[in-house]
This record gives sequence, structure tokens and C-alpha cells, in this order.
Amino acid sequence: MAKRIVSFTLNGRAHDGVVPDNTLLLDYLREGLGLTGTKTGCDGGECGACTVLVDGRAQLSCLTLVGQVAGKAVETVESLSRNGRLSDVQEGFHMKLGAQCGACTPGFVMAAEALLRRNDRPDDDDIREALGSNICRCTGYIKILDAVHHAAARRRGEEPAPYPPLPDRAAGQAA
Amino acid sequence: MDALHSFEVIRPRTVEEALAARQAHPESRMIGGGTDLLVNIRRQIETPPVLIDTNDLGDLKSIEAGENGLVIGASVRLYEVAEHPEIRCLYPAVAQAAGSIAGPTQRNMGTVGGNVCLDTRCIYYNQSEWWREANDHCLKTELGDMCHVAPKSKGVCFATYSGDLAPAMLLFDGAIDLLGPNGARTVSMRDFFIGHSRQDGSTGDGIDYMAMEPGEFVLRIRAAAPGNLVSGYDKIRIRRSIEYPVAGCAVAVARDGDRLTDLRVAITGTNPRPVFLEGAADLAGGALDDATVQGIDDLCKDQLMSMKTTFTPGHYRRRVATKMAIRLVRELFEAAA
Amino acid sequence: MNEQVRPVDTAAAEPVRSIGEYVPMVDGPEKVSGAARYTADFVEGKALEAAILRSPYAHAEVLEVDTSEAEAMPGVRAVVTGADCDKTFGVLPIARGEYPLARDRVRYKGEPVAAVAADDIHIAKAALKKIRLKVKELPAYYRCKDAYAEGAVDLHEHRPGNLERDVFFELGDVEDAFTGSDLVMERTFHAAEVCQAQMEMHSALVSYDPLRDRLTCQCSTQVPYYVHLMLSKVTGMDQGRIRVIKPHVGGGFGCRTETLQPELIAALLARKIGGAVRLLTTREETFITHRGRPETDLRLKIGMTKDGRITGVELENDQRGGAHSSYGIVTILYAGSLLYAIYDLQNVRYIGRRVLTNTPPCGAFRGHGTVNTRFVFESLLDEMAETLGLDPIAVRRRNYLEAPTFTQNDLMVNSYGLPECIDWVERASGWKEKRANGLPDPGPGKKKGIGFAASHYISGASKPVNWTGEPHATVNLKLDWDGAITVLTGAAEIGQGSSTLVAQITADVLGLPIDRIRVIASDSEVTPKDNGSYSSRVTFYVGNATLEAATNLRKILVEAAARKLEADPEDVEVLGEYYRAGSQDTGIPFQEVVMEALRDTGTITTKGIYNTIPESWGGKKYRGAAIGGTMGFSYAAQAVEVTVDETTGEVTVDDVWVAHDCGKALNRLTVEGQIEGSVWMGMGQALSEETGFYNGLNLANNLLDYRIPTIQDSPPIHTHIVESNDPHGPYGAKEAGEGSLSSFIPAVANAIHDATGIRFADTPITPDKVFLSLEKAARFGAGKRAA
Repeated sequence: MAKRIVSFTLNGRAHDGVVPDNTLLLDYLREGLGLTGTKTGCDGGECGACTVLVDGRAQLSCLTLVGQVAGKAVETVESLSRNGRLSDVQEGFHMKLGAQCGACTPGFVMAAEALLRRNDRPDDDDIREALGSNICRCTGYIKILDAVHHAAARRRGEEPAPYPPLPDRAAGQAA
Repeated sequence: MDALHSFEVIRPRTVEEALAARQAHPESRMIGGGTDLLVNIRRQIETPPVLIDTNDLGDLKSIEAGENGLVIGASVRLYEVAEHPEIRCLYPAVAQAAGSIAGPTQRNMGTVGGNVCLDTRCIYYNQSEWWREANDHCLKTELGDMCHVAPKSKGVCFATYSGDLAPAMLLFDGAIDLLGPNGARTVSMRDFFIGHSRQDGSTGDGIDYMAMEPGEFVLRIRAAAPGNLVSGYDKIRIRRSIEYPVAGCAVAVARDGDRLTDLRVAITGTNPRPVFLEGAADLAGGALDDATVQGIDDLCKDQLMSMKTTFTPGHYRRRVATKMAIRLVRELFEAAA
Repeated sequence: MNEQVRPVDTAAAEPVRSIGEYVPMVDGPEKVSGAARYTADFVEGKALEAAILRSPYAHAEVLEVDTSEAEAMPGVRAVVTGADCDKTFGVLPIARGEYPLARDRVRYKGEPVAAVAADDIHIAKAALKKIRLKVKELPAYYRCKDAYAEGAVDLHEHRPGNLERDVFFELGDVEDAFTGSDLVMERTFHAAEVCQAQMEMHSALVSYDPLRDRLTCQCSTQVPYYVHLMLSKVTGMDQGRIRVIKPHVGGGFGCRTETLQPELIAALLARKIGGAVRLLTTREETFITHRGRPETDLRLKIGMTKDGRITGVELENDQRGGAHSSYGIVTILYAGSLLYAIYDLQNVRYIGRRVLTNTPPCGAFRGHGTVNTRFVFESLLDEMAETLGLDPIAVRRRNYLEAPTFTQNDLMVNSYGLPECIDWVERASGWKEKRANGLPDPGPGKKKGIGFAASHYISGASKPVNWTGEPHATVNLKLDWDGAITVLTGAAEIGQGSSTLVAQITADVLGLPIDRIRVIASDSEVTPKDNGSYSSRVTFYVGNATLEAATNLRKILVEAAARKLEADPEDVEVLGEYYRAGSQDTGIPFQEVVMEALRDTGTITTKGIYNTIPESWGGKKYRGAAIGGTMGFSYAAQAVEVTVDETTGEVTVDDVWVAHDCGKALNRLTVEGQIEGSVWMGMGQALSEETGFYNGLNLANNLLDYRIPTIQDSPPIHTHIVESNDPHGPYGAKEAGEGSLSSFIPAVANAIHDATGIRFADTPITPDKVFLSLEKAARFGAGKRAA
């Protein structure tokens, strides 16, 4: 099949991809470019593991043809950590255990990133709404809510909520 | 990893170019967000040789919403409809329906044209090629000749229409602007959705569910002035996100004092078409009382035909659509006071 | 960087402790940044792509598999069929009847028949379509009753009547107990088949080096050692020529606690081509591979005195096991043996049938064997409490065990935090007040209710599947001149935190910060053997082995420090980065201690092992009584509050209060994560998840129709950790990752009953079932059981 050049911005850098028309963005990122942070979790559009940002909005790379991002800005999970530091969202997912097995995590991280760019003071309902296309099989989502609140606090320049007090020490303080 | 079949993508910049591409490639399919079509392609339910990408059609990306009517371009994203202030204010059923489709990421991608033309769905059809083959295929693909939903059905398909926008638009005399080889035309949605699935084959069905001529495609959808209609949309799914509706209902009422002066109900997720409940308006005119409710119930019993096309039983889908519609009528009637 | 020796106030130096704290996972940064590599992420190699041809027939004799056309296609490098391997595999040594690729017969739709390795996936998939399969179809059975009906064709010659295992035991005198009861109730229940649906789909990357006759396998597994055994068995290669590496694994929940076809088929292909093969399955194929929890029909009869004392129990259940053995024998035994060890039961009769059917094989799913038993038991307790006018919680209290004890079927219970769990849940949920005064009015057309249930689970099976005489767990520590400490463990990190656990224990014993510890896990060329991550064995067994290895290392370091400090070892204080002899001593830094320890001996390696004690091995009172034996049981209790929408039948879970006795929370963050995940997974089974078969095809082979709850469906969960300090657990720890799952299901069923007056005996309790029962109740009166 004939290939075409598709020009777009990938993680902040100009990129020219040479691909056949039937190439899914997910497969191109992973197999073509080795950007395997973006995960595959289903056979199309059902789990959100492949979520990337296209022009700042969350999008499923498993249902996006590479040609459809021509002229747009694509961001994957690999773009978030800078200067050897985790991004606020990544730090939140790490510190608050928003990631257990990690297979859904990049998708959640990108969906949460899109949310925080629009709203850096989300409440639980805002987070539930924004992450509604992403399936996690490990956490029950409780710690994912914690993770996003942690990240939002960082983005606002505030100190994220600490871990709850330990039972012994709490008892000690009370005494 | 899936192996997609080979196809070419054409990316027209104008509707004229799109029309030309469509004429040059009669087997082509239009692609907007891809959340419906690409899933089907990945499952090899369909293997169009050419896709025409509507995303660069700037003409089809605008929303005009006001007291006098609503026009939404086919390439508008679903989230834009859900968030649009005038639509939320004047056509709340439309905004609520758009905001309830699939999940947030799908709404970032999916388009108005795509949701209105959403392929009808069936548990025996929306499966992989291997699965369908192991099940001897079905009517709705070219490879099969039997219906697993109604094995005695002679060539009639019952695949269910699950779009959320169409029922909401039907409340406002919704119509569709089409462009094709014979020019542009506007078709009322009530005439556009032809999936009546009558056994005598006199109408369309789950396969042939849209009155679209060869080579035509959707430019815009439009709704009439809301007038004094108060509208809303409600749906049930087993999960609150990602899924298609188990059943959805759009309702509009008008109220004058204690009188219900207009009543419109449209249902999705039950039949091979969105059902604009015929006869609902005749129930208006007096108080909203038990007789009105019974009337809605009777109309639903008569017109809703949910078969075993989804994981969730058909009987329930029909009953719950009815009860949700009645609840919504009551709520909106209250709200209109 | 500028190296400077800073004066250190060793009087203020303290060993670093992290046991019992909130500790983020040691491999968290890789996962959140996308750097963690799972099997499918190894894309840079020259591996061929493979695809599997799966049977479209549910039950058929295979007459011919003609691959000639496929093999002739350009780009196709190898095709394998059943003819390429006549060795069977399976997890239980007594039930290994499955071929990597079907030979004489196919027994379910989706069973692998052939596989292709090709230059790319397009070619591989196209080649599958060129393979011709000739069969003679046989009658197929999708329900237990049909499979064991008289005259049914046997799926496997060695399993007459399609019974994988028929279990019967009676301990005590059940009839006598029922006769002496004030109330005897009997109910039937049904639980739909559910699937683990872990986020990472099954995948394998296998390379064969013909020059050296070596095979290397990377795959998504919870049990690299079992994979190693089965690779050797099916390829016929010497075990020592095989290397199994477990990369990051995207969850398991039990479906990967045995060797699966992808790794075996990839190995057969790799051997045939003499190179590397990558086999990625689709989500649909992951569902077909299955190994989930079986559809189960249950009948439960309980006798009770009027004050709530359980007198006798009779449980009968049929499990639809699917077409192959898998863990089936263990599952059907667990379902009976784990009636015990939560309440004091003295008269129990159990009848279990594990049935072979023409559906994908079931296996071990989180809460293995206990979940459906617990659903029916706790549901019926609730109904009997109501009938007797007793508080459901009071009935549980009436039947407590007194630990330490052995149950009637010889299960060892040393620590028993159930009472504390129940007390907390009762208090935190406002149970008494809500039951007495009712719940707040949720508005018109809605009803609220609250329900309660308890559950338990084992901390590892005391007798491993493969009884070899080796220790249950072995951990090595390596310390060299650089001062770096490396933990070598076979424990399979699958997202549950085992690598964090071993790092934490090692660091804690040495008083060092965790980031000083490196963990190398699950590479058979480097790490000691481990049975794998299943049955909640890792914290208990690997944790204890790590504790011993670290203690041995500490002893060496203390002795070295003592030599250096010219003190007695018992006077040496370990302050992590400093060792000193008494508080007046200025001390020496860790690195100096290390150099002293290495003098004459060189690199230090220490070892820790763990063995279960014979008392924990279960009994011999009936065939299979060892199943259930464990070193310690976890306990859990939960209250669930729901709102039922009478218009739609929707059940919304508003709140969950759960307490879990894990002995000791070594890491509160991961323990909470495990409990929350268990409760939530119970919710999926209770309310929305099920496979559903149509002529042997799963209608829900995808994540749209297999309804895993989304974040929008998921309630707040209030978690409380109870620490009963098990005498044998590492620091007192027991299992944390499974025990809270099963009590959710009866708790929510009891809550729905509280709200609607209807008892639901069929999971999942989907809106359609609730709706239709409400309509029926409206017509015929409330207080009915759902059909």
C-alpha cells in the first residue's frame, strides 16, 4: 500500500511520519516509533489505555488514523517528565498509588493531564467525569482520585495532602 | 495487535471536494471521529476501500443556535454540542443527549454526523470476524443469511439504533441536510430513519435504516424553534460511561397553567430506528393525569419493539424506556410550572 | 560532585524504618512515566509476529489441519499445529490434559488449533485464513446439567460423565443438627461466570538460539516457574536450557497463575524457526483464554438456633469448569473447605461437582474458590437473622471462632481479627442507628438500604501445587564492594507490590532507606526459584524468606562492625548508615563496615528461606482435605449502602465501609490499595460483570459488553486496617489482596434487600433483574425472592 508523509507535532517536536493510510496512531507510536508508554488494552475504544492528547484534548489513539493528526499536536506520556522529574500528574499517581499494575496508567495520566489544563481545582465529580473513558482493573479508582487531587495541588503551587497519620503516632499525639 | 485491511483515506477541504470523492468512490465511507466506523473496520465488519475524512470540512464545523432554530454541522464534536450555552439553554434535551454519549474521550472525538448515522447494533453483529464466522455470520453482513435474534425472520434485521442525538432532535422536528449527486436536500428525521423492520419487507430494517441515496452524505442537522417546549433527555446504561444506551428517552412538554399543552417523546435503544412516539401529542390538552401516563404506556407497548439484540434483555429495555419516559414527562411538567 | 566527609552526629543517627508506613512502590516511577516495559513493549527486536488460529467449533474431532497453502505464502516463516507437539500441559500435576494446540479434538470455540509466525502481523493473520480445518462435529454441552446427563459424550476419556471432580464430605452429623435447630432454611443461588479482565492482554516473546540450544521466554505471567516447567515439558528441552524472564505485568487476578497457550505456542514457533517470535493476543483472545471464575449453581441449607447459633450446614454446588482441568479440582475443593475458618462450624455436609463443558476453561480468580460460597452463605445468614428477628451482625458474633484453634476440617487458625473488623464496620457505618431509624430519604422513586457481610481468605496454600521438598520461598541478597544491596527474588511483581515488599523488609532490617535497595525479580537465570504470585502467598512466604535473608546479612555486618570497633557483636548498634558500639562511640559508616565484611570473603551473598509448618497442611479427613490449609487467614467485614432507583432498577453503591485483618500492614499504601481493589472487584461481579454464552461463544468478549465498572460507577470506600499480628507472619503480616472481595457481593445483595424487600440470589444483580423483580413485587406483593 502506498505511504504518505504526515506532518505533525509529536511531544513538542516537528515530526514527519511516513505511513500507509490504514495505520492507527497507537500502532505507529508503539511499533513505529518505540513510544511504548502508550498502551493497548482492548480491541478498540473500550478502555482508554491508549489515551494521548491531540491539540490538548484526550483522544483514543487506537481509533485515530495517523493521517487524522496531520497539522496537530500529539502528546504522549513520554513527554510529561522534564529534567529528570516526574510531572505533577505522574508524581500524584506514583505517590498516591494511582498506579498498581500500571497498564492503564499512561492513559489515566494523559486524561488527567487534559483535565488539569482546563481545571486545576477539580472536585471528585469533575475527576470522575473526566476519567470516565478509562478503565482501571486494580485500584477501584479511590487512589486515582487521590492522585489527581495531589497533582492539582502541585499545579496550583500548593502542598499536596500528606498521607494519613499512622495509627500509633496518632494515638501518641492524642495522648 | 489488529491488522487493518488496506484502504485509502481522502481528506477533502470543501464539501464539493467531498462530493466529488464520494462520486468517484461509491464504496467509500465517511469518517469523522472514527469511534464507530474504526471499531467496525477493526472487526472486519466492513472493509471499505476508501475513507473520506470529514475533519477538514470547515463548513461543517459550526453551530447556529437561537430562538428560531438550531443548525449543527456534521463535523462538530459531541462535546461541543454538550457544552454549547445556547443549546443547553434552548434545547436542553440535545445538549444532555450529546453529553451522555459514551465517555468523555469518545465525545472529544465523535461527531454529530457520526452519532446521527450510528450503525445499528446487535450482539451477534458487533463481534470480531472470527466470532461471527464461528456463529455462521448473520444477515447484517454480506456473509450470512440468518438472523440469530429472530431465526424465523425472513430477511429482516432487528439490529438496534443506539444514537442519542436523533431522539433529542426528533422532539424539535429534527431534520437532516444531505448532499448527493442530485444536489442538496433536507429530510425530516422521521422520514430519514426507516428501520421499521416490518416482516413484509415494506420498510427499512436494521440493515437499511437510513433513507440515504447512494453517494449522499450528511452536511448538517437542524431543529425547529423550541417555542415553549421544555425538554430533557434520560438514559440508562449498566455503567454510567463508555457504553451505548440500554435505552434512552427524549421528552418535551409544553404547559399552560395546569394543562399539558404539548407532549413529544422519542426513544432510542429499542428499535432499529429512533422512535418518535406517534400519538403522544394527542395525549396533551388536559391535565397530566393517570390517563396520560397510561396513554404513554400504551403507545410504548405498541411502538417499541426491543428484541434480544443486546446483552440486556429486550423486555426490560422496552419497559424501562417506558417508565423513564413517564418519569421524565412528570419531571419536565413540574419544571415547566 | 564535590566529595566531602561531613562530620556526622551519630548520637542523632537513627535507623530508617518504613514498616507500617505509607510507602510508594519502588517501580512506580517507571509505570507513571511510560518507561515500564511489558511484554508487548519489546518492539525493537527482529522478532517475527505470530497469530493463532482458533477453533470455530465447540466440540469436534479434528480430522485434518491443512497448512500447505499458508506455509506457501511469502513472508510466512513457520506454521505449527497439534502435530508439532504431543505433550500436554496443565497446572495440577494430576490434571495435565491440555495440548498447546489441539490434536485429536477441539473442545471449545476458540481453542488454539494452529499458529503462524510471519514477517508482520498482516501476513500472519492473512495466513490463518488459508489454513483448512476438517472436523467431525460432536455434541457440545454448555451447561453442567447437559454435560453430566446420561449419554453425554465425554470431553476427555479419563473423565467419565464429564466430572472433573466429584467431592463429598460430611463432618459431624448434619441431619441431627438440622433436627435440633429452631430454624432451617434452604435456598438456591446462581452466580454468573466472571473473568479477570486484567488490563494487559496476554503476550509472549520467545527466542530460540539454535547454536546454543537455548530458549528465552518473556511473557505476561504470575508464575514464571510454572511457565518454565511447562516450556520444558512441551518443547522437550532440558530445564537448564530455558530462561524465563517476567517483565512488567499488567495485572493477573489469577488468570495467569498457570501457564497459558501464548507462551507455549510462541515457544513452539521460535523452536521451529530458530529465532524470536512475538505473540500478542487481542482482548477477545484474552477473554477466550479465560481461566475465570466458573458459573456456579448452589444450594445451601443452614440450621440455626433461635439465638443465632449455626448448628449445621449443607452446601451443594455445580461449577461449570469449561473444557479443560486448569485449577478445577482445587476450586471445587476450596468451595467446600473454606466454608470453615470464618465461623465455628461443627456439622457440615458438602457436595461439589466440577463439570467439564464445551466452554473456555475456568481457573483461579481472586478469592479462588470462596467467592460464590461466601455470597450464598452470608446472604442466607442475613435472611435467617431477619426471620429470627436478630441483628445480622449479632448472628455473626454468635458464631465466632476462638483462636488459636483448628477447625473441624483441620485448618489452622492462629490469629482472628474478625471481631475487631466487625466492630469497626458496625461503628463506622452507623449500622445500629441506620437499622433502627432507617436511612435518609433518597427522594421519590428511590429507596436506600444497608447490608453487611464478612469474609476471609488464605495467606498462601500451605502445600504448593508442585510438591518438591524445596522451601516454599527462597530469597538471596547480594552485597558487594560498592555497598549496593541487591535483592534477588523469584516473586512475580504483577502490580501488587512484591518488589516493594522485599525492598522494604530488607531496608528495615538493615535500618537503611529503601532507595538503597535494588530488586531484581523473576529472571530464572539470576533469581532463585519462586512458585509465583497467587493464593496471596507472597507477603507471608517471600516476606518471611526476605526477613531471614536480611537478618543473616545484618548478622554478618554486625560481626564485621564488631571486629572493626573491637566490641562484642551484641553491643553493636545498627543505625543504618552507621554502626557503633554504644552511644559513646563515634561509630563507623556503613561502607567501612561493608569493606570489613568483605575482607577475606569477597562478595557477600546471604539466603533466606521459608517453609510452612506441618500443622498448617490441612487434614486428611476426606479426599482433598489439604486444600484450604494455610499459615494464616485474613478476615474482612464490610457494610454497603445503596440506593435503588425503582424506575430503572439501577443500584447505586453510595458508600462502603470495609475493615480487613491483614495481621500487620507492612505498607499501608499498598494494603489499602489491595483492599479497595478487592472490594471494587467484588462490586463488578455483584452488579455488572458476566460472560454470557450463545452456542459456546462468549457474547461479552470485549470491554464494552463485559462491564467492568468505570470511575463513574465506583463508590467511596472507607478502609480500616485491623492488625491481629499473626505469630508466623513477617512482622505479623497476613494476606491483604483477596479476602475483602467476597463479602462485597452478599453485603450489596443484603443492602438491596434492605432497600426493596427483595432477595436477589443471582449475580450479577443488573438493573433488568431488579426492575423485573420490583414489577413482580408490585403486582404480587413484596417479600418475594427474585426468580
